[in-house]
Amino acid sequence: MNSLNLNRFTPYMFLAPAGIVLTIALLYPIGYMVYASFLNWNPSQLISEAEWVGLRNYTNLLADAAFIESFFVTLKFAFCVVILEMLVGVGLALLLDRNIRGMSVLRTIFILPMMIAPIVVGLMWRYMYHPTVGVFNRTLKDWGFEAIPWLSDSTWSLISIIIADVWQWTPFIFILSLAALQSLPKSVLEAARIDGASAWQQVVSIKIPLMMPVLIVTLLLRLIDAFKVLEVILVMTNGGPGLSTEILALRISRTASEFRELGVAAAMSNLLLILLLVLTLGMFLYNKIVETKKAKLRAAVEEG
Amino acid sequence: MSLTKKVLLPMLGAVAAVTTATAALAGPYDDYKGTKLVVNFPAHPHYDAVMKVLPKFTKETGIRVEVDQLQYLKMREKQTLELTKRNGDYDLLAYVVFSKADYVYADQLENLARYFMNPKLADPSYDPDDLIDGYVGNIGVAGGNKGYLPGPTGSLYGIPFGSETSILGYRKDIFKKHGLKVPETYEEMLDLACRIPKLEKGMGGLASRAASGHHASHAYLLHLAPLGGRIFDSEWNPIMNNAAGVQAAEALKKIVNCGAEGSKTFGFAEAGASFLQGQSAMFLDSTIFAGRVDNPRLSKVVGKVGWAPHPKGVRRGSQTGGFGIGIPKNAKNKEAAFLLMQWLTSKKADRLIALAGGNPSRYSTHSDRDVNAKFPHMQIFGEALKYADPDWRPIIPVWGKINADLGTTLSKVLTEDLDIKTALDGVAKRSKEVMREAGYYTWDSYSASGIN
Repeated sequence: MNSLNLNRFTPYMFLAPAGIVLTIALLYPIGYMVYASFLNWNPSQLISEAEWVGLRNYTNLLADAAFIESFFVTLKFAFCVVILEMLVGVGLALLLDRNIRGMSVLRTIFILPMMIAPIVVGLMWRYMYHPTVGVFNRTLKDWGFEAIPWLSDSTWSLISIIIADVWQWTPFIFILSLAALQSLPKSVLEAARIDGASAWQQVVSIKIPLMMPVLIVTLLLRLIDAFKVLEVILVMTNGGPGLSTEILALRISRTASEFRELGVAAAMSNLLLILLLVLTLGMFLYNKIVETKKAKLRAAVEEG
Repeated sequence: MSLTKKVLLPMLGAVAAVTTATAALAGPYDDYKGTKLVVNFPAHPHYDAVMKVLPKFTKETGIRVEVDQLQYLKMREKQTLELTKRNGDYDLLAYVVFSKADYVYADQLENLARYFMNPKLADPSYDPDDLIDGYVGNIGVAGGNKGYLPGPTGSLYGIPFGSETSILGYRKDIFKKHGLKVPETYEEMLDLACRIPKLEKGMGGLASRAASGHHASHAYLLHLAPLGGRIFDSEWNPIMNNAAGVQAAEALKKIVNCGAEGSKTFGFAEAGASFLQGQSAMFLDSTIFAGRVDNPRLSKVVGKVGWAPHPKGVRRGSQTGGFGIGIPKNAKNKEAAFLLMQWLTSKKADRLIALAGGNPSRYSTHSDRDVNAKFPHMQIFGEALKYADPDWRPIIPVWGKINADLGTTLSKVLTEDLDIKTALDGVAKRSKEVMREAGYYTWDSYSASGIN
């Protein structure tokens, strides 16, 4: 009897440490944040002194034009960078998936941007975008073109931060897709070649579909990251001009430190968290549906 | 018996002699010899100068000082954490002027009255009248008029240390070359700001900050006070959208449009660099900048810069800002911290720090012979300080939010050509809401009902 009980509990006992760590390290802070989002909490107060305001922080946010603007800036930014990075990253991987001499050196060079500290990336681009001494405008002027107001025009500044982010994070997608490409079964590609598939056909109907699971995870990781990027934009534009580059992460940070409204900042973070959860779940759901469809198809083929 | 007496008497005598000797020689610092104070200072030119003078304090008093220097915008976060602890790590801290509203309101700074009343601590030769009024009112006092200004109900929570005002720098060589007169009024300054780029190809008129947020707002406020405007009227109604407010925004827009290339996104550093690199003919901002002009490592305009008081609009009103030092309520060594604070802001140390390149907070230092010989602009700064306006910007807890809104909206005016009046009306409307939520109109209905 006793040993039976013990046996039944053994797996839970082994899981317990992980469970405890999860509760302390993950659920507690999130719970704290959710609780804080219902408070009118100033950083000079202890959390116990803060006033309970219920859903006021959330309702105020939904009516706050600045928050809504920065929400849409975030969406625009995230979708643009992720799409561009996926296109360029996967494209590069497809091009470079071959035996070139010095490939390992090249690969290292390619992933350099993502190894640089974000603050440094921000500063670097800020100087390159500098209206008079920056390399872009100097080159443009040397070639006889008009200088571009990289960071001082609301449309251009969004484009500028997108370019910088694409520069920094394309390598991430590049190495993951390259790894995926190199682990593809060689036999399938060989068969395709023997059947006379052109290079393009190989890419579109074999390589990309086989890479899909990896690509989807990569996309998701980038999307989540793109919603949270802060330092580079902080250094480059600090959200300006106007609110044109003030993404949510920056707005949250300013709300907490400049406006000293911890409750509102927590509410914003929760909204961001919900948005990301919905996106992630949506992506997984979509993936699941596609997989089941495929499995059904395969089963049907096998049966037939 | 007799033996004990024989031994005891001389011993007692010796003890008495020692006691009288210490009493006679006891200095105010003796009790605190060997104490270690932990202080929090910003990384800022003034405090860099302080660091050079600080060893003198330890040598004179035996009180050791450990300094934690932080980037000044990061200080408030760290200090807020420290101040809410039961036992704080800091014995003395330098705070940015707008933190006064938060710290005093949250009851986290010591009221200095009990230290200045303590005869064992207060130095009779301290001469508080010599401290610059505008600075003390702006940075040190709270609880008077409007809550954040001096007045009959106010009291002292900090002493200005590393404070600054606004000053106009101009290129003497350019002004001489074209026979221009140094502007004394806003009209003259605005006229020159747009005239110089035409006279001197490729040179901007006046280098101003304009970057979205705090910088744009700061630049606007610099013009608002002299042009007769204010953020709030006496009943806390936002009035930045009245005629004077619009005029200040127009002035800012004109200055930025006639400024050097890229001036729409200049922060303080970029605006300064543009002047130091010789790309702008004038500079209107904090006095702390003056220390860099004649440093050949940073500046291409060494010896070419003259200084003048902030031009007059309908009134004179230069900014007041920078830092003050105060003693946290949760400090361990408050009395020793007060001694350090008093020493640092004394006439002697103020002069030493000024000579090391800091910003003096006393009138006497501004007219000191040695200081003037080393920094000739100091006398003009002393003049300008008489018009330092402690109320050029409100120091209330919700100011951070209004400031950010004002700054981003003005940035839209500068970069997206948003109509000025519409923009400021929007800021006023949103500020009113912020103020209402913060409870500034609680008394309105009561007063309106005529009960009192």
